[in-house]
Amino acid sequence: MNKDTKQPEKNTIEVNWDDYLKAYYEKPQSVKSWSGYDLKEIYTPKDRTEENYEKDVADAGTYPFTRGIHKNMFRGRYWTKREVIGIGSPADTHKRVRYLVEHGGSGLNTIADVTYEMGLDADHPWAVNEVGLTGVNITSIRDMETLTKDIPLDKVSWSVITASTAASVSMAQYVSVAENNGFDLTKLRGSIQNDPIHFRYCGFRPACPLDLSIKLGSDVMEFCTRRLPKWYYTTVNMYDLREQGITAPQEVAFGFGIAMCYIDELIRRGLDIDEFAPRFTFYVSCHIDIFEEVAKIRAARRMWARLIKEKYGAKDPKSMQFRFAVHTAGCSLVPQQPLNNIVRIAYEGLAAVLGGVQSLHCCSYDEPMCLPTEKAHLQALRTQQILAYETGITNVADPLGGSYYVEGLTDKIEEDSLKIMEQVEELGGMEEAIRTEWLDRQFEAEAVDRQKELDSGEKLVVGVNIFTSEPEKTTPLGVQRVPEQSAVEQVEDVKKLKRTRNMDKLKDAIKRLRDDAEEGKNVIPAMVEATKAFGTTGELLGTVRQVFVYSYDPMEIIESPF
Amino acid sequence: MAKERKIKILVTKVGLDGHDRGAKVVSSLLKEAGMEVIYLGMYQTPEAIIKAAIDEDVDVIGISYLSGEHLIFTPKIVEEMKKNDLDDVLLIAGGTFPVEDIPVMKEMGIDEVFGAGSLTEPIIQYIREHVREKR
Repeated sequence: MNKDTKQPEKNTIEVNWDDYLKAYYEKPQSVKSWSGYDLKEIYTPKDRTEENYEKDVADAGTYPFTRGIHKNMFRGRYWTKREVIGIGSPADTHKRVRYLVEHGGSGLNTIADVTYEMGLDADHPWAVNEVGLTGVNITSIRDMETLTKDIPLDKVSWSVITASTAASVSMAQYVSVAENNGFDLTKLRGSIQNDPIHFRYCGFRPACPLDLSIKLGSDVMEFCTRRLPKWYYTTVNMYDLREQGITAPQEVAFGFGIAMCYIDELIRRGLDIDEFAPRFTFYVSCHIDIFEEVAKIRAARRMWARLIKEKYGAKDPKSMQFRFAVHTAGCSLVPQQPLNNIVRIAYEGLAAVLGGVQSLHCCSYDEPMCLPTEKAHLQALRTQQILAYETGITNVADPLGGSYYVEGLTDKIEEDSLKIMEQVEELGGMEEAIRTEWLDRQFEAEAVDRQKELDSGEKLVVGVNIFTSEPEKTTPLGVQRVPEQSAVEQVEDVKKLKRTRNMDKLKDAIKRLRDDAEEGKNVIPAMVEATKAFGTTGELLGTVRQVFVYSYDPMEIIESPF
Repeated sequence: MAKERKIKILVTKVGLDGHDRGAKVVSSLLKEAGMEVIYLGMYQTPEAIIKAAIDEDVDVIGISYLSGEHLIFTPKIVEEMKKNDLDDVLLIAGGTFPVEDIPVMKEMGIDEVFGAGSLTEPIIQYIREHVREKR
């Protein structure tokens, strides 16, 4: 057939060429950063007033650590590739842990579900519906054994994400299993989130009354300071605060305010700042505005160094180093056109690495739909591996240091965060700001503003208020469901354990726990003993709660069996 | 002519999930749009939600989900509504769930679903248009 005689195909896609021309000439409508800073069109040496490099910036590895906590940063060691895992039963979660390690995950990271964070046993009437939906419930030492089965706890670095007052029990359960299996506690490496104060703002207020939060949070810290020298015993969670909708400088200021509540308590207990501050870590958000996030991290490092040295009188440089993990911003992800999330996460992970992160969780693209499927989880890990092995960004420490813009923004965020911290001080400190619900009001107002920015188009999100398309009918890599059977079996196991354990032995252990709590002692050793006697999460926490004159059961249904 | 009664909506979480940013933001913005909003808060049971809906005589119930609990609690809430003859109350849901579940939730009895990444105007518009149909 002669090509020339072929009829041209009819165009089936209608294009509006006026819109095309508009798009061709289009320029950004906003020149503000994500947190609302008015930005100049270019930053020059004039924007850096009286810079004192040695004093305010300094090389990586040198106080005030603005450019990083290690001299050579990633040349010494990559960040820990640590994807959060928590699904269904301890056995289901254990399986996913092994899967990601097998594919190159370098840090283990398991997260509690809502029932465990609330301090409820799997068989609690409020828990049975929701066990394993968003993480894993560890009711007894048996569950912790299943979760950690055949994993060399003296070799791996395990991040235990239990944040509420239940973190005290988590720590006791982890230590119990380690001891029962003959592991040397001084070799355990990892972290526990253990930041009950912040968890008030994540829906766990009944489990996290302020006094009990400070008491149990600090007990874990004190215990680990003395017994687990390689363990990072708190990860002050700035990430969850940011997810409430606040800005970058608020994230730093509020996070530091909460960290100071614990520091003040540990000092009241007679610990020296240099004894414990090196084990403080932070969980930081990386949102979508790359430069602002890097500047925020750099500002946080400088602020932390100065706070710990100048306010608390630390002498050990390790105390002054702001160590942090990053969770890419879940709230920046949307279900519309979900594969775009992979790109958002990659940019956010990029910001984390440019900021000198120690440990990274990249969200999976299906975060705004369901728990990660195996494929989505792997893809998130691969995002980290592409950053590490392909992009070359690991070659040089603090590659954005010296940028007129980034240095300027670092100064600006520091200035604003310090102002907010001063404001909190004027309110009577963070504890007071929490008690008076000042902090709640900040979160609520900011969250409404973020939605209004989306509604008005002041902030653009592809698929939400620009370049929208027909809603998807399916999730590209499938949907992760939590096997119903897992929860049923776990609940049955707990009931069986409660029927068959030696009650006399347990009662003795619970009595010691109650006595220690009443005498104001650190309760973690007694919690370890009670855990080994098959005491459960709800029982251990309930016993301590009663001493503090709270209901045994945070949901106020169950009475103490002791 | 008597002044038209404000649309009254009950916004709530159900179960233990504490992700309440969305529910609170929606509550504030519906209030700004002139509706009367009762925010019931966290740790609610289906029974407690429906009791509050009856006591407050609301036109709309808005449930906020996140932790995969939507398929567990939706049938229980719908059942409670039926038991109490609340067939003239609009039931809407928001939050985080797989798109595959949206037709399932509607099948179960939810009138409309507004997932994460929704804008406010379509929610307001939907409520205004459909409240009248139901009543």
